[in-house]
Amino acid sequence: MKNKLLSLNIASKTVNLGSHKIALLDKIDLQVHEGEFISLMGPSGSGKSTLLNCIGMLDRFTDGGYTFLGEPVHSMKEKNRSRLYKEYIGFVFQAYHLIDELTVYENIETPLLYKNIKSSERKAMVADMLDRFNIVGKKDLFPMQLSGGQQQLVGIARALIGKPKLILADEPTGNLNSKQSDEIMELFAQLNEEGVTIIQATHSESNAAYGSRIINLLDGKIV
Amino acid sequence: MIKNYIKIAWRSLKTNRLFSAVNILGLALGLATTLLLFLFILHERSFDSMYAKKDRIYRVLLHTTEEGIETWAQVPSALSPQLTEHIPSAQQSGRLLKNDYGGNAFIKAGDNILTESKLFWIDPSILDMFDVNILSGMGAKALTKPNTILLSKSTAKRYFGSENPLGKTLTVDNRNTFEVKGIFEDFSEHSSLQFNAVVPIMMRQEAKHPSWGNASFETFVMLNSDTGNLNDIDQKLQNIIDSNVEKEQQWYTFSLQPLEQIHLQSSAYTDSYLENYGDISQIKNLTILGILILIIACINYMNLITARSQKKAKDVGVNKTLGASRTQLILRFYVETGLITAIAMILGGLFTILILPSFNNIVNRNLEASSLFSLQIFVFLGFIWLVTTLISGSYPALYLSRFSPKDALKPTSNKGIMASFIRKGLVVVQFSASVVLIVSVLVVRQQLEFVQNKNLGFNPEQVIAISTTAVPDVATNHALVNAFKKLPNVSLISRAQGYPTVSVSLNSIYKPNSDVGMSVNTNLAEHNIVDILQLKLLAGQRLPSHKQDGDSLVEVLINKTALDFLGYTPEEAIGKKVEANLGNNSYIYGVVDDFNFASLHKPVGAYAFHNTVTKGNYNYLLVRFKNQNLATTVSEFERTFKSIATTSAFQYAFVDKNVEHLYQKEQQMAKVSLLFSILAIIVACLGLFALAAYMAEQRQKEIGVRKVFGASVPKIVQLLSIDFMKLVLISFAISFPLALYIMNQWLQDFAYRVTISWKVFLITGCLVLLITFITVSYQAIKAAIANPINSLRTE
Ligand SMILES: Nc1ncnc2c1ncn2[C@@H]1O[C@H](COP(=O)(O)OP(=O)(O)O)[C@@H](O)[C@H]1O
Ligand SMILES: [Mg+2]
Repeated sequence: MKNKLLSLNIASKTVNLGSHKIALLDKIDLQVHEGEFISLMGPSGSGKSTLLNCIGMLDRFTDGGYTFLGEPVHSMKEKNRSRLYKEYIGFVFQAYHLIDELTVYENIETPLLYKNIKSSERKAMVADMLDRFNIVGKKDLFPMQLSGGQQQLVGIARALIGKPKLILADEPTGNLNSKQSDEIMELFAQLNEEGVTIIQATHSESNAAYGSRIINLLDGKIV
Repeated sequence: MIKNYIKIAWRSLKTNRLFSAVNILGLALGLATTLLLFLFILHERSFDSMYAKKDRIYRVLLHTTEEGIETWAQVPSALSPQLTEHIPSAQQSGRLLKNDYGGNAFIKAGDNILTESKLFWIDPSILDMFDVNILSGMGAKALTKPNTILLSKSTAKRYFGSENPLGKTLTVDNRNTFEVKGIFEDFSEHSSLQFNAVVPIMMRQEAKHPSWGNASFETFVMLNSDTGNLNDIDQKLQNIIDSNVEKEQQWYTFSLQPLEQIHLQSSAYTDSYLENYGDISQIKNLTILGILILIIACINYMNLITARSQKKAKDVGVNKTLGASRTQLILRFYVETGLITAIAMILGGLFTILILPSFNNIVNRNLEASSLFSLQIFVFLGFIWLVTTLISGSYPALYLSRFSPKDALKPTSNKGIMASFIRKGLVVVQFSASVVLIVSVLVVRQQLEFVQNKNLGFNPEQVIAISTTAVPDVATNHALVNAFKKLPNVSLISRAQGYPTVSVSLNSIYKPNSDVGMSVNTNLAEHNIVDILQLKLLAGQRLPSHKQDGDSLVEVLINKTALDFLGYTPEEAIGKKVEANLGNNSYIYGVVDDFNFASLHKPVGAYAFHNTVTKGNYNYLLVRFKNQNLATTVSEFERTFKSIATTSAFQYAFVDKNVEHLYQKEQQMAKVSLLFSILAIIVACLGLFALAAYMAEQRQKEIGVRKVFGASVPKIVQLLSIDFMKLVLISFAISFPLALYIMNQWLQDFAYRVTISWKVFLITGCLVLLITFITVSYQAIKAAIANPINSLRTE
């Protein structure tokens, strides 16, 4: 068996709505090993995005334990958590969330800027990525000038540029047609083959089938 | 329909609280300043408008024709009677002379000894021209007889309390006795003329034997209502001069100044007995400032609207698809703007009432809050409301309403770029205006500091001038001098006709063996004057300490300017005869270095101390004292003075205080520009604050993405602030040269002035950048520390 990447130990998230306490995530137990490709499924509002955000350390569990690469995330300071996710996690969004004012090239380059990587090295890395995704010819275009599939390609390239161990993708094909959707899934499968761990949230059975394991959520619980 | 629009506007106000608050507050501040200035200008313009014959009354001005042309508001006593005689359209004319050529009068009314600052010797016709309202007793007619006096109502009360003043007697300056013949209504606060007491001018020697030399009489003339009556009036005035004064003796010409111009357009004229002059240039400056601040406030409004224009544009699109016409949309936007400006107006009115006391203090006026509730003000407010609504509402109404529904609903098109361009331009304009204001505050302050610290060539500190005009006789005068000499606190003492900051006699000094003349101030003084003022003696000696009675020899100390005019070296000059209307036997005895005897607005003129007793009076006792404590010094001197001159009031001035007083106008300007700069900056910052909030909101998604991909909080703050900083830097490029130009113009008013240093701009630049950064970074930090998942959620 491969190394354990992360583990959730009866992790919960509750929010206060007025006087009510609502559990968005309820006692989640989950182990993820390096090299896995997990599909999170469940109806809208079941807590998929919340779980991904918590795993991605953009949000916190309010209860239970979360260990990432042996480090106890649940008892970490904000600063250390952000160091951790910057280093190991890449995010892909349903709405792509590219920066409109930046070109394709600059969008992909952005994470590197925040890692203080030298300009020459950045150039090489971005060039590699453009090459690999076959979008060299589009590098000077703005997001608005691309199709949805192309935008998501750029989004994935941006997530990969920092060489993350884990990719969190929240309905990455939710805004795409089935042809584009299949292409993206092929790409994920290929990345997974190369060793990147992937957790994706999806509504689509066919997309889920690309993964090596399916986890079903309902009302914040694994079923 | 309109009701419906108002309802929509009101809801939109409530949902966008921050924007609305900033808009309304900014506009209200802008309106408050405009309103204040309007009140002030109304007040200033209303001067002398209460006189029924105001359109026909003129004051005679005198223009000197010698070197350094000046305009005086006083003319020789012989002119007035000639006016009605030789100018057919002149119906009436009259002179007025303030007691002792501008000094205070000392009144003894029963047991009361008082100082009267507004006693005038006048021709009776003055009362007729100005329709002075007689409350009891006689009017102008009383003044045709000697030893009569008319008092204003409040003055009579001051002198005699509740007793009936009519028939009472009083003495003036311990010389003349007058009987109170009539009581007139107090002069309006808005009148340039301010009489407390008037006595017949015909009692004065100068009026009985009028001359064409001594120009000390303020003279008014009333023309008939014929419109052509000003035709060749200058020629007629010149004819009068020609037929009375020999060509060589003519050192002046005359002109007429309409009464309505007296209050605002006289600040450059020397020698007038009238007080509380306004200043037209100040009014112009204030008007410009007011408009500037109103523009800044309007810009805020437009800025915030353009900031919301994406949303508004969508609104337009939706409404157009629902069938709204362009006119309806225009109307809707104007209604919304009108509502906001109306609320701002009310708030602005409240601000005005709050600021009014400090404003009064600064401009030295007494404007009342109650005058806000006048028709004029309401018309003005209505006008301003319309203008601000039209200006501020023009962008949304005319620009946004033009979109076709298709364009407006499209998420991106050039409308966003256009709006952001306009927005940036407006911010640049705002900041440029603020920078100009700050620079002006700094330069005015620097100049004032310079003026106050400049070496004046004499030392005004520790010198007191005690008025002795009321001391009845020579013996008392001598007793006073002797008593003061003995005081341990007194180090030096000299009697003098005047002292720096106070006008003395004006004569002409002539080049040797030539009739090329120059104006010279002559001051009758004594030996110690040089040391009391701590003047620098360049050659020769102080005035002799003793002078034999009847000695016709006149010793004169001239200053460097006079010396240079005469063309001597200091040593050469000693012993030379000097022609300065000081008698035939006058010789240069010493030369002193130049000193600034008047304000630093003017270069130093020629000045001479002399000891010709017949050419002036000792009006003051100048004392250099030792004690640093001014209060005890004053009370000690007062006791000494009262013990000898028992019947005179003690009247004094510290010379350094007088010097300070010369720059009252500038000090006022400094305060005004400070007040307005603060207001302008507050308004501009309010706008910036809301704009930064908007920008942060606009870029929320981007900020979230950047954070997810590793941006730290400082990086985000930098990202958001840098754009504003760039705008501020651009505004520097525009405003620095502009401010430099404007302030250099202002400095032209001073003969002695600072050069504007680059440090002023450095300080202003840092200050504005700092303020901008603080304003913007609050919003930027708020945006940067927000959790990105909130902005990235896709529902
Ligand atoms: N901060 C929050 N406060 C309250 N409720 C929230 C919050 N975040 C998410 N929710 C609710 O939690 C539920 C789960 O949301 P989400 O994780 O987005 O579901 P999914 O991604 O599976 O559609 C939803 O009902 C959502 O409204
Ligand atoms: Mg979701």
